[in-house]
Amino acid sequence: MDVGDWVSTPQNWVFLVIALPMLFAGFKVVQTSNVVHAVLYLVGTLGGSAALFILLGAEFVAWTVVLVYIGAVIVLFLFGIMITRAPLGFDVTLSHPVRIRVAAAVVAFVLFALVGGAMLAEFENQTIPEAADATRTVEIGLSIFDRFVIPFEVVSVVLLAALIGGIVLARRDPAEEEEAGVVR
Amino acid sequence: MCQSRAVPLLALAAQTPNLYSPRPGPQAASASHKGFFETVLDQYFGDYITVAAFLGMGALLVAGAVLASAALRPNNPTAVKSQSYECGIDPVGGGWSQTQIRYYIFALLFLIFDVEAVFIFPWAVGLETFSDLGMGVFVLVEMVIFIGILVLGLVYAVRKGVLRWE
Amino acid sequence: MNVDYHALAPEIILGITVLAVLVVDLLRIPKYWTAVIGLVGLFAAFVPVLTLGFCESLDFCTEPETAQRVLFGGSFVVDTFSLVLKGLFLGATAVALLLSVGYIEEDRYWQGEFYFLMLCSALGAVVLASSRDLVTLFVALELVTGPTFLMAGWRKGDPRSNEAALKYFIIGVLSAAILLFGMSLVYGYTGELTFGGIRAATAALGDSALLTIGVILTLLGFAFKVSAVPFHFWTPDTYQGAPIPVTAYLSVVSKTAGFVGLLTLSYQAFAELRDVWGPLLWILAALSMTVGNLIAVRQDDIVRLLGYSSIAQGGFILVPFGAAVAGNVTGDQLEQAFFATVTYLLIYAVMNMGAFAVVIAGANRLKSTLIADWGGLSSYAPGLAGLLALFFASLAGIPPIAGWFAKLVMFSSVLGVDSGWATALAVIAVLNSVVAFYYYAKVIKSAWFDQVPDTIPAAELRGMGRAVAPSLQFALVLTAVGVLVLGIFPNLIADVGDVAKTVAAGF
Repeated sequence: MDVGDWVSTPQNWVFLVIALPMLFAGFKVVQTSNVVHAVLYLVGTLGGSAALFILLGAEFVAWTVVLVYIGAVIVLFLFGIMITRAPLGFDVTLSHPVRIRVAAAVVAFVLFALVGGAMLAEFENQTIPEAADATRTVEIGLSIFDRFVIPFEVVSVVLLAALIGGIVLARRDPAEEEEAGVVR
Repeated sequence: MCQSRAVPLLALAAQTPNLYSPRPGPQAASASHKGFFETVLDQYFGDYITVAAFLGMGALLVAGAVLASAALRPNNPTAVKSQSYECGIDPVGGGWSQTQIRYYIFALLFLIFDVEAVFIFPWAVGLETFSDLGMGVFVLVEMVIFIGILVLGLVYAVRKGVLRWE
Repeated sequence: MNVDYHALAPEIILGITVLAVLVVDLLRIPKYWTAVIGLVGLFAAFVPVLTLGFCESLDFCTEPETAQRVLFGGSFVVDTFSLVLKGLFLGATAVALLLSVGYIEEDRYWQGEFYFLMLCSALGAVVLASSRDLVTLFVALELVTGPTFLMAGWRKGDPRSNEAALKYFIIGVLSAAILLFGMSLVYGYTGELTFGGIRAATAALGDSALLTIGVILTLLGFAFKVSAVPFHFWTPDTYQGAPIPVTAYLSVVSKTAGFVGLLTLSYQAFAELRDVWGPLLWILAALSMTVGNLIAVRQDDIVRLLGYSSIAQGGFILVPFGAAVAGNVTGDQLEQAFFATVTYLLIYAVMNMGAFAVVIAGANRLKSTLIADWGGLSSYAPGLAGLLALFFASLAGIPPIAGWFAKLVMFSSVLGVDSGWATALAVIAVLNSVVAFYYYAKVIKSAWFDQVPDTIPAAELRGMGRAVAPSLQFALVLTAVGVLVLGIFPNLIADVGDVAKTVAAGF
């Protein structure tokens, strides 16, 4: 695919419009010193990823990202921040000395160069084949309940374990509970 | 959006995709690029462009209103004016109190059941297709087990008193 | 939908046990019933493992048409390898449960939920043993590690326990992210999820930088799990800070689950890519052995020493993988290497559990895990000191106690290969065995030949071996007998390991 083809495909421009702010938001997540700003930039990154999924035709995944990630996980992040008394503002612990920041940037750049270079070398100028139709939710359902039954049921146990464990971590100690008269 | 696609569900059931063969990887180079509004996928894009247009207009509207008011109003901050508002009386104490941990448990419960809902969506949408394919009972039992496991977690939460609002 | 429920029986029974433990925890009966139900469930789940294994000789069991039971298009396979490992996981979890009963009851910990989480993790390990598909492997791995994050931080008021859980969690999720990224690259390149499909696709599509990066990242994700150097930084702090039964569980079941992932990926999915994972695992093996042993020498806390020792033992277990580094390695030699790893894992499970059982029994009364405080243990608790010597000698590899056979098969698998690198790895392993012997002997010497330190009231602690909780006594006896029997009759474990070579077949 040469430059002319690339420019004339509107999907590529939409991709650019989504990906550049996403890159910026992703960078700001790790660079900002304010913890709440970091979470909100993360919302931007996740929203961008949802938009990219829509661009690829996987709308069920996109709305799952919005519903679960932005809807629940970010809320959990914010509650965690609020509970641990993080002062809303400049937080000293979130800023690192310069040499660590330089080392992190170097590692990130090296990883990007490695993986990006490998991808470019492998796929060169191929295009993503256009799907016949956007992925339908029914197809996802068929896949989950036919081929991936075992991971599906295992996921339910993962969720249950996370629920029980989270409640145990967040509960008061047995001594305090006896005072409050709660059933153990 | 669902009605605009003409593929009926039973036809889909007739051509159940072979789930065990690989999807065409990037090795299969794409055919010629199709134009706008010619394939089914372009109707899908058309719908989402409408969504994006509405989002953009809404954002512009709000941004325009806020920027316009910020540009047109006088800006004279004084110490008294920039205090936090507490129903007209003098503010008491710091502006920051610690959240209680019970809200965290609610958020955690919401997360778990949100993920459960995400799994129930494709099941609910495809239930008719599954029963046409002959696996209706199997799929129903699977989902009952899944929901049952998580309801047990909810029962645990209730019995341990974490959902109590004191 | 015809599903082979007999093949799924261990998982189904264990799943029912998990839910039963939770229900029993909600009733108003004494909490030890949750532990009882858990143990009963583990034994009940072991029964179908036996019936599946000995299916030919049983009347009511229908043999499948093929040699192994393949479900869901190849993502879930029940062959003898997975049965052997399911048995290992169930047994090790049962022992860990026995170890934790007394420990958890004493302090004001949450009990029923602890056993629930441990059984959830065991369920994940049992599913992992059978998964031959990237998605099932990842989800099962998450089920193994998720509850262990919580179990590591079980002592809520203790800052060291919190530190242990936090370090483990952060490095654990980082490694899960790396693993997932590698898996996505492999899937993107091959278009296949099942291991058989990936192998066929890599054979057909040939080499590629992208595939190499994907394979390396996937294996590195598991390297975190098995505490291979340089991804071991969470291990000492987590082992020391977490409650000791959790440490025992982590060092055996969690580590073995990581090795199962490495084994099935390397010998099945990436079987055509030996020139990628051979050198990688060679380097990891050499580094883990060396760094683990060298740092362990300077430890003065038994639990931390066992942590570094388990890093080094992980390195020993990785040594047979390094046999693949030779270009001219034959299918038989690869099968032998596979056999060596599985055998070492089985023996390592028994002896490590025993070592931790002794540490729990001692730390309970002595209230300290410093080696110096354990001085002169033989004068007031000779039985415990004897068991300590037994298990640490086994870890060091002294015949006729179990560890020697593990070291033997490990060396023979690598020395049989005709390559300079493989021989070099064997030499490194020998040197490391000598170094390891030093610090294991240091602990034994301290227990038997040193004076009792002044801080320990030896007179009051006389006879403390008999006052240990009955479940802990039973676990000690079980592991001690196991270690002795496997050492004197190694052909028992060799037969089991032989039977488990089915995964490596097809070279």
